[in-house]
Amino acid sequence: MAVYVYSITSKDLPMRLDDLHGVGDPPSPLRTVTAGVLCAVVSDAPEDLRPRRRDVLAHQQVQERLMADGAVLPLRFGMTAENDEVVRAALEDSADTYQEQLRNLNGATEYNLKVSWEEEALLRRILLESEDARKLNAATREGGTPGMSLALGELVAQEAEVRQQALAAGIVEALRPYVRDESLTSPGGHDFLNISFLVQQDKEEMFLATEISLANQLGEECEFRLSGPLPPYSFV
Amino acid sequence: MTVVPQSGGSISRGSTSSLYDVLELILDRGLVIDVFVRVSLVGIEILKIDARIVVASVDTYLRFAEACNRLDLETGSKQPTQLTDLVGEITEGGAEGKSKGALTGAVEAVKDTLTGDGAEDEDEEEYEENGEDEQEEPEYEEEPRQQRRRRPARGASRRQRE
Repeated sequence: MAVYVYSITSKDLPMRLDDLHGVGDPPSPLRTVTAGVLCAVVSDAPEDLRPRRRDVLAHQQVQERLMADGAVLPLRFGMTAENDEVVRAALEDSADTYQEQLRNLNGATEYNLKVSWEEEALLRRILLESEDARKLNAATREGGTPGMSLALGELVAQEAEVRQQALAAGIVEALRPYVRDESLTSPGGHDFLNISFLVQQDKEEMFLATEISLANQLGEECEFRLSGPLPPYSFV
Repeated sequence: MTVVPQSGGSISRGSTSSLYDVLELILDRGLVIDVFVRVSLVGIEILKIDARIVVASVDTYLRFAEACNRLDLETGSKQPTQLTDLVGEITEGGAEGKSKGALTGAVEAVKDTLTGDGAEDEDEEEYEENGEDEQEEPEYEEEPRQQRRRRPARGASRRQRE
């Protein structure tokens, strides 16, 4: 029977999984597959797995429970193996790599930071700081050509990009002394920054304090959304 | 932990924002093992497409231009002198504490005159985005939608769309 695989850890972890459940409806019970010093947390795979909220949550909760007790290698949502034997073989084949990764990630967690700039505040700033934008804006307000509106929009978009990139670089620069690794992704929606940091325990307090200080400084115009501590999805 | 935003448009995202913000990590990152099979998940492909936002497009340009026109129109009619002062101070550098204080005050005043309009626009955009998500990711949105229904304002406008 196909098995859904959540996470790889050391077999020495306490595995306090009794009150958690796996993916699927009805949810399948969690169990472990052990090979040498490594252990995979698995459950029977449901027939028709979709990224439902409860399934994504179940996947995430297993990681969170495990990471409270030690290092974990979280799998991507939706990974299944043919049966327990295939899982065991996979653990054995790459045992050295996984052990090395687990050692390396010991005491480290991921934080994901997304930042957006309130559009009105950004546009107001651009109009105040760019004379060209102000002139074009005044002209289009009094009924300029569609071409002028496009030119204004393009200019504003460029100015926005420049400011967003500069601020993103500044934010990352300010946090960099407290992180071990970073992973930048293209932002979605209204965000201009989407970055994950790998933070070691002894730097965590300074990292969080710095992030709060940044959020306070920029809070008038920018929204900071920090998620964490998370299993190190971006660093496995 | 999450820093609560100040603008009205974002507060309504509430507790669902935390899972939503890590969704891409759970679905798109994490360890992949070659001999394992990734179950086919339609919603995941959609999520990747969603992430790509085209800023350099005619639509965006026109929207920006319109937003700028509106912005200036209101400040211009209500507080012409303050706007001029503001511009002067910023171009001068505004490094001294005194002028900074005045600047903040003026910005606040300008903001107050604009809040009503801007907040509505932001809300409208969010509804549209969420609406698309629901069409393309019905399975994932199933439960959050029920949660949002409990909020009167958002729920009302959702039902109209559905």
